[in-house]
Amino acid sequence: MIRAFASGLRVDLLQLVRSPFDMVGMLVWPVVFASIAYLLLGSASGGRTLFSASLGAAVMIMWGWVILGAGFALDNQRELGTLELIVGAPTPLVVLLSPVMIARAIFGIYGLLLTLAWGRVAFGIPLLIDDWAAFVAAVVGCILAIGTLGLIAASTFVLYRAAFYLGVSLQYPVYIACGLILPFSVLPAWLGPVSWFLAPTWGFRALAEAAAGQTPWPDIGMCFALSVVYLLIAIPCLAVFEHLARDRATLKLA
Amino acid sequence: MNSLRVFFIGGLTSYRALFNWLNPWAFLSILVAYPVFQTIYFIYLGRTANTANDTFFLIGNAFVAAAVAGLFGMGQSIGGERRYQTLPMLLASPANRLALFLGRALPAIVNGFIVAVLSYVLAAAMLHLHVPATRLGGIGLALLASCFACAGLGLCIGSLAFRARSIGLFADTISGVFLIITGANVPLDRLPDSLQTLADYVPLTHGIHAARALAAGATLGATLPSIGTEALVGLAYFTVGLAMLHYFERSARHAGSLDRF
Repeated sequence: MIRAFASGLRVDLLQLVRSPFDMVGMLVWPVVFASIAYLLLGSASGGRTLFSASLGAAVMIMWGWVILGAGFALDNQRELGTLELIVGAPTPLVVLLSPVMIARAIFGIYGLLLTLAWGRVAFGIPLLIDDWAAFVAAVVGCILAIGTLGLIAASTFVLYRAAFYLGVSLQYPVYIACGLILPFSVLPAWLGPVSWFLAPTWGFRALAEAAAGQTPWPDIGMCFALSVVYLLIAIPCLAVFEHLARDRATLKLA
Repeated sequence: MNSLRVFFIGGLTSYRALFNWLNPWAFLSILVAYPVFQTIYFIYLGRTANTANDTFFLIGNAFVAAAVAGLFGMGQSIGGERRYQTLPMLLASPANRLALFLGRALPAIVNGFIVAVLSYVLAAAMLHLHVPATRLGGIGLALLASCFACAGLGLCIGSLAFRARSIGLFADTISGVFLIITGANVPLDRLPDSLQTLADYVPLTHGIHAARALAAGATLGATLPSIGTEALVGLAYFTVGLAMLHYFERSARHAGSLDRF
């Protein structure tokens, strides 16, 4: 199973690196989100605020790529007729699907680096990372938590043919609910408790706190804890939805 | 008569195919939920930055929603033919090319208009925003001009389907860049000079400017020059798009690359 996971991760990362859509998209969108934030907030808001906006843009694109990738990967498998083979294989489905999500979250590191480079070159925002060890741990925690959250979404996508579309519509609601680049003071109060259950909230907080040299470890811990919880939810969800898809014979319907 | 049939029936059939043969989820998620939440997100970001009022972002993002519908819709209506291997058959037919491709633009324009209106109304309702009803007619006219301009640019993107395997890359990139350079989410005076100059030549900029002026109380007469400029930008893109289609069709026939995927 470890071999299947590692091999899946390698193949998915290679596919992402070889895909012009993913390479260019990951180049454009973090830069767009970060630029809008920089231009709206203005240089008067201070380097630390703008750097935090860069991190927010990077987490946005990480989530966007995972949720779109979850839908797109399953849609593609369906269209190419390989979804049945994957489901029929003796390896558990979670081991075959999780590399897709984790690979896309790892791909977000490319977006993070681009956003930070863009901020430095185009807007003169300095690289303000006070605690590098915690920052690296926060990146790992963020990848795992967002990737496993994508896995829960992917479990429903096994059953539904409109998977990709659902993925598209889930991007901005999560950006809003997690307060990415937005302070919670401008959002409705009821979104606060909702955000506690979403990985990007803790991933962004962990990155921002590590960069500011504050107390990122509780947020990093939440990322890892949520990853375990998501995995515990995703495994039975996948089993149920896989069974339903087999029962309804919808796996081959493109 | 046959050209009219190709224009209307062909355009409608192509529009239906765009949503994988009328899958309502595709429409609801991509063209309703996505733009509504995008609008809400940028309204909140605007409140955070305190740069402009909510109507600024409401109008800007409703117009961007129309652009996405126009760029992807028009582009995919030609790109989809290549993906599903029907492009050679389409081009082998004796159908009038003008009717064939402009017929695909009409649903894209209507669709873009409906999507923008839905995005505007739903986001305004969710955040309790209000624009005087007397202004909506003028804003609708500006929106129509922008939908026309975006369909023109979509035709240019669609023509690239003769060369590229996927036009989604171009449409996605342009729709991202439009969030900034058209002034949809950033006041134009905050952009670098080069981008401000570029903004004059892309769809949406003049339409958004006219719509915001109307919402702020300007008369329709005062905004007609901007709306006219937007329509002219659209006309220019349609002309370029038809020329690109003609050129790429000839070169693809010559290279025998129409059914290569």
